[in-house]
Amino acid sequence: MLHGRTSRLLWILLALIAIAALAFAACDDDDDDDDDGDGVTPTAVDISGASVDVLGLWGDDELVSFEALVAPWEADTGASMNFTGTREITSILTTRVEGGDPPDVAVPAEIGLFQRFAGDGEVVPLSECAGLEETVRANYPQGFIDLGTVDGTLYGFFMKADTKGTIFYNPGFFADNGYEPLTADSSFQDLIDLSDEILADGVVAPWSHGEFANGGTGFPGSDWIQQILLNEAGGDVYDGVIDGSTPFTDDAVKDAFEKFGDVSLTDGYVVQGGADIINATPFGDATFPPFESPPTAAMNYLGGFASGFISEQFPEAVPGEDFDFFPFPGGAVTGSATIVYAFNSDDATCSFMSDLASAEAQQIWVDRGGFTSVNTGVGLDSYPDVVAQAQAEQLTTAETFRFDLDDAIGGDLQAAFFTGVTDYLADPDSLDSILQGIEDAR
Amino acid sequence: MIGRRWWVPWLWLAPGLALLVVFLIYPVIDTFRRSFLDGKSEDFVGLDNYEFIINNPNPLVADTHSALLNNFMWLTVFTVITVVLGLVIAVLTARVRYEAVAKSAIFIPMAISFVAAAVIWRFMYEINADIGTVNAVVTSAGLERTAWLQDTGAPQTWLTDVGPDDLPQPFQINNFSLIMVGVWMWTGFAMIVLSAGLKGISTEVLEAARVDGANEWQIFSRVILPILSPTIVVVATTLVIQALKKFDLVFVLTGGRFDTDVVATLFFKQFFQNGEFGQGAALAVVLLLFVVPVMVIGIRRFQFQEETR
Repeated sequence: MLHGRTSRLLWILLALIAIAALAFAACDDDDDDDDDGDGVTPTAVDISGASVDVLGLWGDDELVSFEALVAPWEADTGASMNFTGTREITSILTTRVEGGDPPDVAVPAEIGLFQRFAGDGEVVPLSECAGLEETVRANYPQGFIDLGTVDGTLYGFFMKADTKGTIFYNPGFFADNGYEPLTADSSFQDLIDLSDEILADGVVAPWSHGEFANGGTGFPGSDWIQQILLNEAGGDVYDGVIDGSTPFTDDAVKDAFEKFGDVSLTDGYVVQGGADIINATPFGDATFPPFESPPTAAMNYLGGFASGFISEQFPEAVPGEDFDFFPFPGGAVTGSATIVYAFNSDDATCSFMSDLASAEAQQIWVDRGGFTSVNTGVGLDSYPDVVAQAQAEQLTTAETFRFDLDDAIGGDLQAAFFTGVTDYLADPDSLDSILQGIEDAR
Repeated sequence: MIGRRWWVPWLWLAPGLALLVVFLIYPVIDTFRRSFLDGKSEDFVGLDNYEFIINNPNPLVADTHSALLNNFMWLTVFTVITVVLGLVIAVLTARVRYEAVAKSAIFIPMAISFVAAAVIWRFMYEINADIGTVNAVVTSAGLERTAWLQDTGAPQTWLTDVGPDDLPQPFQINNFSLIMVGVWMWTGFAMIVLSAGLKGISTEVLEAARVDGANEWQIFSRVILPILSPTIVVVATTLVIQALKKFDLVFVLTGGRFDTDVVATLFFKQFFQNGEFGQGAALAVVLLLFVVPVMVIGIRRFQFQEETR
């Protein structure tokens, strides 16, 4: 009996060993493929059969477009991309890096984390890949080069960008009611005057506004505040808030919060209603009211990506005629972008990074729509519609451009900023203590 | 033969024990170690992380006081409502002919994954009354629609406008909204277990009480409740542990925003999102310290039942 059991155990062990051996053999096969290759690749170094592990944000339509962008590279090199898309990228990337198992390439939207990793020496400089640093320096605006630089070394470049200087409105509705869209030369007071005019006419509420975005609830308000801050107080103060030389308790920041409050909390301004309702309305849903028939609100402020929501909800809407945006009054522009950086400089990783940085590859997604490139090699006239083109133009030609404030500060401070926005809406009287609370998180 | 080789049972236990060590004991010890280290788990910082929990220096990022209070609300409100509802339903359904159907309907939420349930309730609580069922009901009753998951106001002001608006933090509308989802999910569990206990009460006892002239309420409070009390304790301890480690509902429904964080979500936030390993680990240790005594009570109770059976 005992003998029978032992022999069965032996068999199981043998089977396990066999499986393990097979698995190792399979791994060896992969390596062999890497070495052999079949010599048809155009790149200097043969990387066919290799796989590049990429961690990013994208899913659904965006992922389909990204895969289309990568497809020619895969076909040319014989290598493949293994993409993991998650909204929990901050948690997963942190865990994987701390656990010593980073992806080959990360494509997140937040640069606070990037700066932390680069400072810790986890990220590989672009110069480790032949020619990559030169390509990036030659084709990207200086502002974005600076953002990808940590302690004087260039570690990352930006690909999918979104302007945050966009106030969306319905051109037909504006024309019918005699409202003039503002320009970059307008002042914030002009925006208030326009809101008052619309409120007085009583046809629709001036604004549609939603802050709800799960854990990121409050980000649309943070965008409002950063746009106001940059336009009213200027780039030096804005940079100071990021590097800490200007605290959140500064009068300029307080003024930006209060101006944001003027738009959000004035009675009758927001179609959704009071602060609790604004905080509970999903930011995507809030983009719709100006474009419904008949419209229920005149304007909505959100980043350039809002045009994607609008087009999807109203497939018949013609960009430029049925929906459009005017620049945030003051003309200075903030924007966010996904940054690309690598954790090793393997041949396949370098080849992949070089491909992503190229104008040719990015052009593929530009053509598919929903993508604004900051690569100057991508022509403005190649965008699929006038709204997308105007957004690209705003991003690449803005006299004053700054990276999204909350994405630049990142981490704790970003979380406190978001909470501060919703707390302020719910209880505007305690602004001073809220600002102190945000600063305490620095 | 087998008995002589002392290592044979251990051999068969080994795979299970190995898994237990790798996935449970080692992480517990490592979490404990990290709770005394800094944010990157590099330098020893003594009790700083526990001071962080006590002093709550950074409420806009990680409101530890709010999280502890919220957990206390879950522990009390969730457990009490679920046990009482479960008991009432178990007693009432035992008296109707469509018992099986009624019990199945109440048990179904138990079969749904927590994340799916949370997603369902996100739609239920949606602010837009065209989507949100709860607000559709509220507005058709002539009341104001409410931001169920964002409103940090006190519940009594919602209905009556009477009473102080700024009660201590856990008395928030959105906390109760979250807790009610938990109740919806767990009432079925309480009902099934209590119902089984109820069926175990012999009819002789009940008939004897009736013969002695007890009315139905007296039978319930003087006969059924005392006999059921060990079962109620088992159900309650299970629910208390659930309440303490509540994570999924809060994470999916509010992401811990609007002062709804509980210790488990705050630990996740600090550990995995804000990169504060030390503070996150300390929160996890605090959670463990809360859960262990409850578990001990539950296990003791269970052993006691087994012995007296």
